[in-house]
Amino acid sequence: MSATTEKADKPGLAVTTVALLVVVFLQIPVVVVVLAAFSTTSYLTIPPQGWTLQWFAKVLSDPTYLSAIRMSLILAFGSTAISLVLGTAAAYALFRKAIPGSEAITSFLMAPLILPAVVIGVALLQYFSMTGLRGSLFGLLMAHVIITVPYIVRSALASLSGLDLAVEEAARVLGASGFEAFRLVTLPLIAPGLVAGALFAFITSLDNVPVTIFLISASQTTLPVLIFSSVEMGVDPSVAAISTLLIVATGIILLIAERRAGFHRFV
Amino acid sequence: MSALTFDRLGKAYGETDVVKDVSLTIGEGEFVSLLGPSGCGKTTILRMVAGLVEPSRGRILIGNDDVTSLPPNKRGLGLVFQSYALFPHLTVFENVAFGLRRRKVSGAELDKRVKEALAMVRLAAFGERYPRQLSGGQQQRVAIARALAPHPRVLLFDEPLSNLDAQLRDEMQIELKRLQRGLGITTLFVTHDQGEALSMSDRVGVMAKGVMQQFATPEDIYHRPATGFVASFIGKPNRLSGMIASRDGAGGTVKLGNSLVLPAAKLDQPAGARVDIVIRQEAIGLAAGEAGQGALPGTVALRSFSGARVQYVVKLADDVELVAEAPSSGPDAALPVGSPVALRLDPAAVFAMTPEGERA
Repeated sequence: MSATTEKADKPGLAVTTVALLVVVFLQIPVVVVVLAAFSTTSYLTIPPQGWTLQWFAKVLSDPTYLSAIRMSLILAFGSTAISLVLGTAAAYALFRKAIPGSEAITSFLMAPLILPAVVIGVALLQYFSMTGLRGSLFGLLMAHVIITVPYIVRSALASLSGLDLAVEEAARVLGASGFEAFRLVTLPLIAPGLVAGALFAFITSLDNVPVTIFLISASQTTLPVLIFSSVEMGVDPSVAAISTLLIVATGIILLIAERRAGFHRFV
Repeated sequence: MSALTFDRLGKAYGETDVVKDVSLTIGEGEFVSLLGPSGCGKTTILRMVAGLVEPSRGRILIGNDDVTSLPPNKRGLGLVFQSYALFPHLTVFENVAFGLRRRKVSGAELDKRVKEALAMVRLAAFGERYPRQLSGGQQQRVAIARALAPHPRVLLFDEPLSNLDAQLRDEMQIELKRLQRGLGITTLFVTHDQGEALSMSDRVGVMAKGVMQQFATPEDIYHRPATGFVASFIGKPNRLSGMIASRDGAGGTVKLGNSLVLPAAKLDQPAGARVDIVIRQEAIGLAAGEAGQGALPGTVALRSFSGARVQYVVKLADDVELVAEAPSSGPDAALPVGSPVALRLDPAAVFAMTPEGERA
């Protein structure tokens, strides 16, 4: 092999530099927020003046933040669980059965990924006002199901397409009912993909603002919406502290997803 | 006692009939193959028996029970898939135990029967492995053990050997047949490989375009083909177009080209009819030198070596070409192109059938 072809295989210095700058530029806001959370000053500043954990203590003892965290977790767990059941069932039906218009149905289920979230928020606000669901936890949960279900459908479809159709038939012939064949054979085989999809759905629900903000009632709020409104009212490092916690939680979930399920294959 | 019966079984997808009114009866302990080219409907029949495809017409009986409308899990069959379809997330032991657990077999009885089944396919030591840790041939044997463990009423095979290499395939043919004989289990075997079908089966059903062409013993299929399709599908046929020159009882003579007249044992058309003439390569005797009485003179046009046999393309009068073969260790194994040869045809291996002679 000649030196020129070897060189052609590696990215040039310019490309590497640009790529590096892009990564740094994208990550700077995260670094800034995390650093600001440790400042002893009562306003956000970079670099932080001194080091303290008082802002973390403050947010974690503030009932407003705690109730928002609780609300966010209820929504994230609830919508992920519902999406997991509905999305897996939908993907299975779309993949296995001859359903007329299955392509169109798939696109429809995926639409929330493409539609601007604000549009979904406005549309749901209108719909919920008409149906009396406005401000209800149930309505909010359904909204989160709508935005999380595409991730489940997509990862379930990807897992199913890699499956030998005959394994489920083999289970049937060996005496398993249709549901047993699904539970004992298909489900375990697509589980890694579903775990990855569920974690992504969880994160999506956990930090959603644009849809939630339209539908939330005056008495309840979610963590990202609370952060959003706190910033509007004037910023102290407690916002940075809670944001840091959110970043860390998201990071841990992503790490688990990648380790457990080879996450990048599914989303 | 019949173990498996098809009563005017048919399957249509839209307007297309893929299986047309097939009726046959398979006896207890019998090994039956369905043989035919891809798309002939043989796999569809097998899947209808298993309950994976719903018949459009007709009935399927296992023993005396009409199972036509039963779901696959209520039929008590064993099926070995072409892709094996082992459960990749379960160990070999759990794969084999799957059917038994569905029948509520557990504990020591389960353990005993799984080990029995694994011992039958000589994989007793492999229970703790996962399918991906096994070779193709071993996976195949796990699939057989898995199908056998629940003691199915009928064992079904869907081209089970087609993913194995040639040597392993031959070994598995013998192993399978021995296993089937030993257990006395009724078996339906689907294949496109005539060697497999002829060597393993008690009876063979040859299919084309959804129609059963002939259902008979391997000997009858080979020596007494019922239709032109069977004659040209079985063996290594030369297929030529010609005309019936004269009739005499069941046979007569056929004419190829302008002047070449050959005796034929079985003709199904009157003199003067245009027919396809099928002459099995393996039924043509070939010798070097000039042709004597009763032999056809020709010259070697092409020679190809294939291991045990040597194939010659021989040019006869009127540019008619036939493929003939000779043992590669015999005296006629190395005839050069252009050398004169004499061909002797066994009339019993010359079949003349109407063109496109399929039973429809």
